[in-house]
Amino acid sequence: MSLETLDSPRAAAPDLLRFGVPLALALVLVAFSLMAPGFLTLSNIVGVLVNNVALAAIVSIAMTLTVASGGTDLSVGTAVDLGSLAFVSAIIAGQPVWIAAVLGVLAGIGTGLFNALLIAGLSITPFLATLGTLFIGHSLQQLTTDGGNPVYVPTGSIPPALAFIGHGAVFGVPLALWLVAILAAAAWLLLARSRFGREVLAVGTEPQVALYSGLPVRSVLAFIYIASAAIASIAGILISANVNAYVPYSGNAYLLNSIGAAFIGTSLSRTRRANIPGTLLGVLLLGFVSNGLLLIGWNFYWQQVGSGLLIFLALLLAFTGRRDAA
Amino acid sequence: MSLESSFESSLAAFKALHLPRAGRPAPPPEAVAAPGLSRGALAGVLRFAGLLALLAVVAFFAVRVPSFVTTGNIGLILSQSAVLGILGLGLTLVLITGGSDVIRGGIDLSLAGTLGLAAAVFATLNQAGYGDTACVAATLATGLAVGALNALSVTWLRILPLLATLAVMNICGGLELVLTENTTVPAGLPLIDALNLVGPFDLPVIGLVLVAAWLILAVTVRFTAVGLRAYAVGGHPEAARAAGIDLTRYLASSYLVAGLLGGVAGILSVAFLNAATSGSAEMLLPVIATAFLGRMFSRRLVPTVTGTLLAAVFLGALANGFQLLHVSSYWVNGIEGALILAVVGATSGLAGRGARP
Repeated sequence: MSLETLDSPRAAAPDLLRFGVPLALALVLVAFSLMAPGFLTLSNIVGVLVNNVALAAIVSIAMTLTVASGGTDLSVGTAVDLGSLAFVSAIIAGQPVWIAAVLGVLAGIGTGLFNALLIAGLSITPFLATLGTLFIGHSLQQLTTDGGNPVYVPTGSIPPALAFIGHGAVFGVPLALWLVAILAAAAWLLLARSRFGREVLAVGTEPQVALYSGLPVRSVLAFIYIASAAIASIAGILISANVNAYVPYSGNAYLLNSIGAAFIGTSLSRTRRANIPGTLLGVLLLGFVSNGLLLIGWNFYWQQVGSGLLIFLALLLAFTGRRDAA
Repeated sequence: MSLESSFESSLAAFKALHLPRAGRPAPPPEAVAAPGLSRGALAGVLRFAGLLALLAVVAFFAVRVPSFVTTGNIGLILSQSAVLGILGLGLTLVLITGGSDVIRGGIDLSLAGTLGLAAAVFATLNQAGYGDTACVAATLATGLAVGALNALSVTWLRILPLLATLAVMNICGGLELVLTENTTVPAGLPLIDALNLVGPFDLPVIGLVLVAAWLILAVTVRFTAVGLRAYAVGGHPEAARAAGIDLTRYLASSYLVAGLLGGVAGILSVAFLNAATSGSAEMLLPVIATAFLGRMFSRRLVPTVTGTLLAAVFLGALANGFQLLHVSSYWVNGIEGALILAVVGATSGLAGRGARP
């Protein structure tokens, strides 16, 4: 069995265009450091990375896996929320923080298992399967929180380990950034450097050819959706540790940007496939744009317009010259 | 280009050789007669099942709450479904013309954003002292402009529809915030009063607008060459191109009409709420659900105008009935989700195991 055909350039983009997103990011960085004096300081950059980028990056890494397999996971936010709910509930029930964290990830895996059942088991299109999961997850959260009330960890009894997860640092680098680095490295190794990654990309590019080439398409898809939800639930645990609470539906805020980041990232690949470095660039682009617009004094409302327009321009850079669309 | 086409043709040859049923372009009729028949019968049952589910829900509520089937309540369901239904119709056109592959095919994520922006334009102009005509014209123009931006991005700039409309959604959401500053903008115009009246057949005018939009689109899509060509562009782009259809024009038009419908939905939503309110983004997923759920009502399980209308009314009836039964609204989303899964589960079971897009 050969996977060589996977390298045949279906959408052979001129190599220059692959650098559209790095170019856009560089332009954004240069422009804002000229316009806003505080932009290019270490404290601002670390602030952006911790506050705007870290959580979005984790959710986007999860999204990248499913996009690479030819689908999308609209329920990443649900996995974030259910991870957060399980984590906070366990802490309130008096469990040690590490057990709570394990339970949080298990809640994520449960969400992923449900998706895997629908997608790999019942052959439902990922987009619609995860849309259904999203709706069911919404109801589940309404029912458990009496319509969407946040659940707080009582201020008197916040365990030190929880505060460490939320605000701690190792070797001077915030824990959230370590987690991003570890997850990104693991996902990159899996997608770009393992045999399994080749199988994922084969399933994502030509599912039928993959199926009739004897690839275990169902197991590949099942693993991808479980892994995606598990990674997303880690973001949920970080959010809860940050605010000492579970806030219903807060994970959905990351959904659209993670889709945006993963697809913006595809422009980095010669064959337009989802890849981890591209996704991370996409997340950085989105994060620095909103921070820069804030620093040059745009109000929140115009920031939304501005970042929408800039994403549009980035897409334009990334997609110019594409000729495979019908 | 030649590399690409040779890859595609070798792929087609591979598929023709190895795919037993799903991928074959034109199997000889006698070869598939038996499974074709049973699958057709199953499809018939499934179409029946969609309507049956709708009727069962109506019957259940009618028995439990007699006031469910009164004209007043039916009118209420129609007006509650109007905004969702109109947006769903817009998305249905995009799905028909763009094809049903979620990633590469047609999708318009900006519809909910268009709704919010259009409503904000309408209410803001109203506050600034403009009358019916100016407000309606500006609102519809806003919808068309958003549709034009989508059309331009998808056809000319060749950005993936999923991404292009995602970016446009963000732009719309931002502009809406700029106009409303995240507050509720009240509106009051003769037109709004007229929309809130009860019209012919004892039905509210808002609901009748939905019915009228459905009629126009259903007739156009079902009974004109334009509709047939739109399905061809979405389902078999290569064949459509070979038949001399201008794909770009059809794709662009579908986004333009969807944008226009977004503008109409904006006016209806201002009329229904007597204001432009924030939170239109929450409509996005229900709109997608409506358009995809609508496939349950079509024989070949494809998006259809009438199917989408039925799906919107179905979801409206569910929410309304639960309200009358005093069932917590917390369950509504979950039941909608389970319905979507049941429908698409049945659909993909029908389409065959190997036919995953």
